[in-house]
Amino acid sequence: MAADGEPESEVFEITDFTTASEWERFISKVEEVLNDWKLIGNSLGKPLEKGIFTSGTWEEKSDEISFADFKFSITHHYLVQESIDKEGKDELLEDTIPQSMQDLLCMNNDFPPRAHCLVRWYGLREFVVIAPAANNDAVLSESKCNLLLSSVSIVLGNTGCQVPLFVQIHHKWRRMYVGECQGPGVRTDFEMVHLRKVPNQYTHLSGLLDIFKSKIGCPLTPLPPVSIAIRFTYVLQDWQQYFWPQQPPDLDALVGGEVGGLEFGKLPFGACEDPISELHLATTWPHLTEGIIVDNDVYSDLDPIQAPHWSVRVRKADNPQCLLGDFVAEFFKICRRKESTDEILGRSTFEEEGREIADITHALSKLTEPAPVPIHKLSVSNMVHTAKKKIRKHRGVEESPLNNDVLNTILLFLFPDATSEKLLDGTSVTDNNNPPPDSEEYNLYNQFKSAPSDSLTYKLALCLCMINFYHGGLKGVAHLWQEFVLEMRFRWENNFLIPGLASGPPDLRCCLLHQKLQMLNCCIERKKTRDDGVKTSPSDKITNTYSGDAGKAGSQLGPDNLKDTDKEKGEVGKSWDSWSDSEEEFFECLSDTEELKGNGQESSKKGGPKEIANLKPEGRLRQHGKLTLLHNGEPLYIPVTQEPAPMTEDLLEEQSEVLAKLGTSAEGAHLRARMQSACLLSDMESFKAANPGCFLEDFVRWYSPRDYIEEEVIDEKGNIVLKGELSARMKIPSNMWVEAWETAKPIPARRQRRLFDDTREAEKVLHYLAVQKPADLARHLLPCVIHAAVLKVKEEENLENISSVKKIIKQIISHSSKVLHFPNPEDKKLEEIIHQITSVEAIIARARSLKAKFGTERCEQEEEKEDLERFVSCLLEQPEVLVIGAGRGHAGRIIHKLFVSAQRLTESSDEAAAMSLPEEELKKMGSSEERRQHSLSDFPPPAGRELILRTTVPRPAPYSRALPQRMYSVLTKEDFRLAGAFSSDTSFF
Amino acid sequence: MDEDVLTTLKILIIGESGVGKSSLLLRFTDDTFDPELAATIGVDFKVKTISVDGNKAKLAIWDTAGQERFRTLTPSYYRGAQGVILVYDVTRRDTFVKLDNWLNELETYCTRNDIVNMLVGNKIDKENREVDRNEGLKFARKHSMLFIEASAKTCDGVQCAFEELVEKIIQTPGLWESENQNKGVKLSHRDEAHGGGACGGYCSVL
Repeated sequence: MAADGEPESEVFEITDFTTASEWERFISKVEEVLNDWKLIGNSLGKPLEKGIFTSGTWEEKSDEISFADFKFSITHHYLVQESIDKEGKDELLEDTIPQSMQDLLCMNNDFPPRAHCLVRWYGLREFVVIAPAANNDAVLSESKCNLLLSSVSIVLGNTGCQVPLFVQIHHKWRRMYVGECQGPGVRTDFEMVHLRKVPNQYTHLSGLLDIFKSKIGCPLTPLPPVSIAIRFTYVLQDWQQYFWPQQPPDLDALVGGEVGGLEFGKLPFGACEDPISELHLATTWPHLTEGIIVDNDVYSDLDPIQAPHWSVRVRKADNPQCLLGDFVAEFFKICRRKESTDEILGRSTFEEEGREIADITHALSKLTEPAPVPIHKLSVSNMVHTAKKKIRKHRGVEESPLNNDVLNTILLFLFPDATSEKLLDGTSVTDNNNPPPDSEEYNLYNQFKSAPSDSLTYKLALCLCMINFYHGGLKGVAHLWQEFVLEMRFRWENNFLIPGLASGPPDLRCCLLHQKLQMLNCCIERKKTRDDGVKTSPSDKITNTYSGDAGKAGSQLGPDNLKDTDKEKGEVGKSWDSWSDSEEEFFECLSDTEELKGNGQESSKKGGPKEIANLKPEGRLRQHGKLTLLHNGEPLYIPVTQEPAPMTEDLLEEQSEVLAKLGTSAEGAHLRARMQSACLLSDMESFKAANPGCFLEDFVRWYSPRDYIEEEVIDEKGNIVLKGELSARMKIPSNMWVEAWETAKPIPARRQRRLFDDTREAEKVLHYLAVQKPADLARHLLPCVIHAAVLKVKEEENLENISSVKKIIKQIISHSSKVLHFPNPEDKKLEEIIHQITSVEAIIARARSLKAKFGTERCEQEEEKEDLERFVSCLLEQPEVLVIGAGRGHAGRIIHKLFVSAQRLTESSDEAAAMSLPEEELKKMGSSEERRQHSLSDFPPPAGRELILRTTVPRPAPYSRALPQRMYSVLTKEDFRLAGAFSSDTSFF
Repeated sequence: MDEDVLTTLKILIIGESGVGKSSLLLRFTDDTFDPELAATIGVDFKVKTISVDGNKAKLAIWDTAGQERFRTLTPSYYRGAQGVILVYDVTRRDTFVKLDNWLNELETYCTRNDIVNMLVGNKIDKENREVDRNEGLKFARKHSMLFIEASAKTCDGVQCAFEELVEKIIQTPGLWESENQNKGVKLSHRDEAHGGGACGGYCSVL
């Protein structure tokens, strides 16, 4: 402020801040903050509505200030209210007392269920707190406390702020606050006493009234009446008649041969411990007047049963152990393991497997001719035994991770077709509890990018999850996976289709692992078709149990799949099933009969095939509706064509990358077209074979009808004739179509080079499977596990019908479908999803626990039952619930009974304990307090006693203004607190 | 130049054969028109960087063959597309009628559910129009798509169509996030700030 530029001669008054003390600076900073927050002056709000402290929104603003180098945080807490009309401000009266002082007397929000302690103690809607900024800092010395309090006083005086200003003193956990509120000519001091041990005279109403009165020190006689609000809180911890029923599933029962496939398909659910730990009953006497009731050290009128208000809250166990959540979380943990399968099972364990992998290059080179693989007569269980033997051999006496029975059961569950006889009669083993196809739930896999809930992949995920949890953890997982891969190879080599997979090309909406398995199935399918065609004539077909099953395994998947494949096969209109059933095969079509029939038809219609070159038509599928060949009017036949190669998403990615890499130049585009013309060429060759002597025009009319343009032309004779020609773009000289047509030789599909090399693809898939580490596997299957967990939670929720849970489940689904669609979801997001699932599980478990405790099921009267159910669901969702009818209502009576039975048990154990206790202990226990309670009711001594005493009296002198006075006291087992707000007149004293 | 590209978007052009898919693309990328463009085999691919609202977006556009027979192949390319341009020929009603099939196909094969679809009626320069603009509008509204009529030959509406589509994709949250995730660039970091365990004095009495 001292202006430098001023000429020295002119001497004015200079305000000098250079010597301001730290204290002064602190005060001015607080003032600055209060000014910034616009807390200056009086602003009267509306009277507080009932319950607004709970239903309204509380907000806070914070800033940091320092006193010398000690940092304080200053925080403004306030209830958000609609802004008050300006008119109200106009008639601001000089003598209105500040809002906060008026609020001291308001009785609408006593004992809020959840609020800042200062709100609870003083009924304030707005206040500012100055507290040490660091959590472990504290203002301990008395002089420092006084200094702070003085600062507050000065600030309030300087600024005219009417919001109460508190200072937190002592250690933070003690929640000690002192403060002050100033208004025009009035002041309220907020004082506090906090003790560990209660002086005896403060344990009851009459003693507290005495303190209150002496504190007020009112000169008037008689004293204006004191209004009293009392709340006793009782805690129930022993749920005597009710034991938490859920035990963690019995491990031994599962291992000991009792394992059914069903258990492997089901996820466990529920909390292992009671998720509700305590019930707090608050009995309230909201409005008593001094003299109406007696409560002193020998007698009390305060019988909880008679209390006019009861309210209940439940304390939830912090992190109840929940089975489903644990299950999924444990599975998720595998994702972070780095070990490979070999490392886990011992390097040499599966050296054979290793050799097979090494052999892959060799295998690839032999691809062109599919060498028939010797068929070992092996069954799944055989495989199991050999694998086990291998493990045993390499590990000596050490047990293999998975017990034989368990492994067998799981494999049978995964591959039900292995128990062939049972299945031959056509009864399908579709899962009992699966949602019907087409339902929203069934299609969840689409959103989660998992796999259908009746698929092998999904079941595998559940089994691995189960094994990880109960049977050997990571080792078990590695072991099962090893077995699974062996089984896959076995099936490939022996032409047994993999069950539990939709037929047709890989479903790109499913997880990659599922696609890989589908791919392998496609390969098996084609190889089987080929091998069957080579080796057998229809009469002496191998009577192989597997092959019979395979067909059924495919068809058991239901109409859904058929529909899908139909869609996909657009033109050909044949599903895979029919391909494998009938004899019309691609590569070695032996159906002479069919062709003969075709020829016969043809000859009967059209005077014999002799005039058609010397080519015998081959590989016809069916006649095209009306079209005939242009040059000779022969019917146009649609040829049997090769299916395009099925692709998994990673192959697809690769291929599109290759295609994209060719760039956007003309050459690139040309090359790209050439690379993709294999299918076109193959189709052309098939077409030529089926329609000897045809032209490109014929082909185009079938293949791309819009590229054959027909026009009505009037010929020389005046007749209207249809004249057709290829479209301009097809006539471009040496365009790819023409080029391909010229190169195409008439070869039926079955004799063409394969477009899809099943041997190579199968080996690639098998190799891929074999190199997956348990962590990779877990990542592949996590979507399935989450999918299953969501279904499980949904199913359980359906039984309980909790609306809030319904909402959360919806959120989980939409959240996970977003997360799981990305190729590599972040761990943090996955954890979040799992956490959400766990919390939903806990909510459902809590609902069940409460329902059992309150016996909603046992309730006979419909109306009462409904009320009770509503009450229980409120307990879950609200912090505190009013008991209708207090102790005499239906819920009240149940709560009463709960306490009585808990009480009986403690009493009996007390007696037992009393016998063995030394004399002094006995004395302590039998203090007047406890005796009083015991004689009075079925309730234990209250865990918390809260009292609010209020009155309006002139202070400090009889001629001062009558001002609000309030004292709150709370007594719990550990501490005792008195929080007083005493107002006095600062003008007339 | 690639550094200031906000994101790479995959866009797909589908529709019946001969409706002018490749011509539209050629007009957009090279601003030329070739009346004798060979029929596409399988899929073709072009790249163009455009700037919408100051954001540069690299478009990887996959052009597909419309022939039935190729359709068993092309759905594979639907995967991961953020935008789809569905084209019909306003002078051939049958290409309009078939739109339903294409939508079905999209629904079956698209991996995203919030993909942006645009309907384009092509060849409006021709005189023998068979499909009225209002019909196109109605169809687009029914299936919540963007709609525009265009001509690859006269250049009408082509640029506009692509720009509109890209703008819409960028406005759709979640559609292009994955791209950024893969590149390790994060534009918005949504950290859940909820659940601060500190009691802050808000406690019940017990």
